[in-house]
Amino acid sequence: METVQLKQQLKKQIVEFLNLINVKPEDIKDDEPLFGAGLGLDSIDSIELIVLLSREYGISIQDPKEGRKVLVDINTMADYIEKNRTK
Amino acid sequence: MFYIHQTSCISPQQTFAAVEIDRLHDAVNNKLQVIEPSYEGIPSGVLRRMGKAIRIGVGTALPLIRSTDKSIDGIIIGTANGGMEDCIKFLNQIIDYDEGLLTPTNFVQSTTNAVAAQIGLLSANKAYNTTHVHRGLAFENALLDVMMLLKEHEMANYLVGGVDEISAYNYNIEFLDGWYKKEPIAAKNLYASNTVASMAGEGAAMFFVNNDKKNATAKLTGIHILHTDDERMMADQLQLFLDKYLPAGEKIDLLLSGENGDNRLPGFYNTCEAVLNKQVAVARFKHMMGEYPTASAAALWLACYIFSGQLVPEHMMKYNSPLSLSFYNRILIYNTYKGQQHSFILVERA
Amino acid sequence: MKKTGRSKFISLSRIFVTGMGSISAIGSSVTENRMALLQGKCGIGSLELFPTKYASLLPFGEIKITNTFLQEKLQAYQPGLTRTTLLALHAFEEAITDAQLPPEHLKSFDTALINASTVGGMCLTDELYNDANKTENGSAYLSSYDCASVNMYLQKRYAIKGIINTINTACSSSANAILYGARLIKNGLAERAIVGGVDSLAKFTINGFNSLHILSPDKCAPFDEQRKGLNLGEAAAFLVLEKEEAVAGKKVYAELTGYCNTNDAFHASSLSEEGEGPYLSMKGALETAGILPAAISFINAHGTGTENNDLAESRAMLRLFENVPAFASTKSNTGHTLGAAGAIEAVYSILNLVHQEVYAALNFKQPIEATRLQPIQSYTKMPLKHVMSNSFGFGGNCASLIFSI
Repeated sequence: METVQLKQQLKKQIVEFLNLINVKPEDIKDDEPLFGAGLGLDSIDSIELIVLLSREYGISIQDPKEGRKVLVDINTMADYIEKNRTK
Repeated sequence: MFYIHQTSCISPQQTFAAVEIDRLHDAVNNKLQVIEPSYEGIPSGVLRRMGKAIRIGVGTALPLIRSTDKSIDGIIIGTANGGMEDCIKFLNQIIDYDEGLLTPTNFVQSTTNAVAAQIGLLSANKAYNTTHVHRGLAFENALLDVMMLLKEHEMANYLVGGVDEISAYNYNIEFLDGWYKKEPIAAKNLYASNTVASMAGEGAAMFFVNNDKKNATAKLTGIHILHTDDERMMADQLQLFLDKYLPAGEKIDLLLSGENGDNRLPGFYNTCEAVLNKQVAVARFKHMMGEYPTASAAALWLACYIFSGQLVPEHMMKYNSPLSLSFYNRILIYNTYKGQQHSFILVERA
Repeated sequence: MKKTGRSKFISLSRIFVTGMGSISAIGSSVTENRMALLQGKCGIGSLELFPTKYASLLPFGEIKITNTFLQEKLQAYQPGLTRTTLLALHAFEEAITDAQLPPEHLKSFDTALINASTVGGMCLTDELYNDANKTENGSAYLSSYDCASVNMYLQKRYAIKGIINTINTACSSSANAILYGARLIKNGLAERAIVGGVDSLAKFTINGFNSLHILSPDKCAPFDEQRKGLNLGEAAAFLVLEKEEAVAGKKVYAELTGYCNTNDAFHASSLSEEGEGPYLSMKGALETAGILPAAISFINAHGTGTENNDLAESRAMLRLFENVPAFASTKSNTGHTLGAAGAIEAVYSILNLVHQEVYAALNFKQPIEATRLQPIQSYTKMPLKHVMSNSFGFGGNCASLIFSI
């Protein structure tokens, strides 16, 4: 899958998985911070995104703290998925 | 005894914002489901996680909190099932993923104290916060709690309410257990149906209460709860309740009855009417609100609505007042949940 | 704190504990629990009875007694009785026997029964899943899943006619049950109150806490710098509360002198860094007891072993107490028993007072860097007058109790 397509798919999955009402996938910028400012996700969301990575891409991240290093923005997530996906 | 000021209700009828209850909204597939507002007061980042019980609980509570500049000294909620939809979603995850990697939101939102907790969180309220979950008397215990609080803290203000939702979980289980009708039924025909069981409902009703009579809508004079399946005991306790709270020579004007179309239960409601010597007007509310553990909260909202100068809709009346009253000063709410738990709530015009 | 006015008569009724009952991973009676605490016994280990994928992966405070044994011992064979109800029945019977409550008191209209549970009958996860999804042939447990099912059974079995309630405020549930029962008596709505809490192990809570990554793969180490989370446990405990006027000639364990319920209002599943809710509930309990922080002899801490709770609780203690009193968490003996925690830890706090002793915190090696607080690490006889018991839960629900002799 092309990186651009992956990022589009990822944005759609994030909106659906986290039930982000009022957010359209296409509105999420690739380098917009997911946590804090930007999309404003919190610690529960980081756990949910780890589950998303496992279910959709077969990637296992054991420690939520390690996960936060990956879950910075769409760019870092897509990059990590491309390198580590098993699905 | 305490005073009720502002009230708020989300129910299967038009009871929120522009209230209009003369028109009866019917059940769909035997379920009276709430008419949800747009929840403008809840940030979308928070709303996205909320199941229905929490949405309607928070959706009724926040406007009340924001409508007053008085501080809220406690939040007391009665809910039998809390966020049961989220509960079953998490349960499904446990089974579907065989206890594997699961998402936590459903678990966190399913706990019965989530409604009170979210209200506290969103209003940054660090005061007393509790959740009573005793099935058909969850709301009544919340009222007893706040009654005690107002004796303990005379100048305080509290938010008290009741909420429950229809979820896949509790509908199916109650249906299997024989508490919801098997045959299709329209709301207006509920009481005429000579079959077992009732119709599922849901709703949230919240009340801002304190000891201040000025500008109050209603006075909650007395409340009594009881566990029995014996009509005689219920009658004795009701008589004691009336003896205790009714001034000499005074009567109940209107009985707001929790009759619910279940042909196993009319004995209790007939007994209640008999104790009142059939001198009262009788109105019913479960064809509007449905049957659920905290339906008495919706009944209390209706009583306050009536006291705010509104006429009782025709579709609610079982017996008109023998004294031709259309203006009621003293309402007794009697409800039984499954013929095992009973409550009497005496509420008067303030 | 805002002045909310106070009614004079409320403060006149003093509340005493005249009976206790408990069952946990460290014993099936109050005496057995005390012996285990005295000896520093740990009831946490691998699951032997409860079926879950995590049975050998994570440690739990399991009560090594089967439901069949409980049914026989308690003569409780009705269909639809869950383990949660059986455990509660066991502790309830011990408490009312201990208080020597005559049958006419038990059945009286002025005896209240206040219970707490977070799991209720949802310990039967598979049955619940089936009943929630099937269209016919429901199981025997259809009316047993909610938290109220425990008290509904006790009500019927003992023909209890007074005020009955069930409270669920997550981990502070049974502390709130205790303070609600006390207030019913003080407000003249009951003469006596049987109060307590129960929870049994359930896939629902095991998987729920696991999804939040707060279950420890090792035995929990409350207040330790290297703590990795909590261990779930199961337990039940009941106390009988009576007012001063009624206890003449009776054995009295301790007085409930202080209590407070507050909300942390920070996050649905974690406490604020500075422990605001815990701080306020401890402070409020001191105010109702009318004593200064320095009067507290010992604290039975909430101390779950999670990174968040133990730090927040430590910070709150440091804010409130100029010199933090001796403290320890008994969760390293029993595990975190959720709905039962407040009640069973109240029993332990009363044992501290009755026997003038405190029990060793287990698995503690080094203090949290940021606070340097150290719990009691060995069994110690010491003079105790006021013991505080804390319970802080999901939804920011915090409660503190103070018992005194």
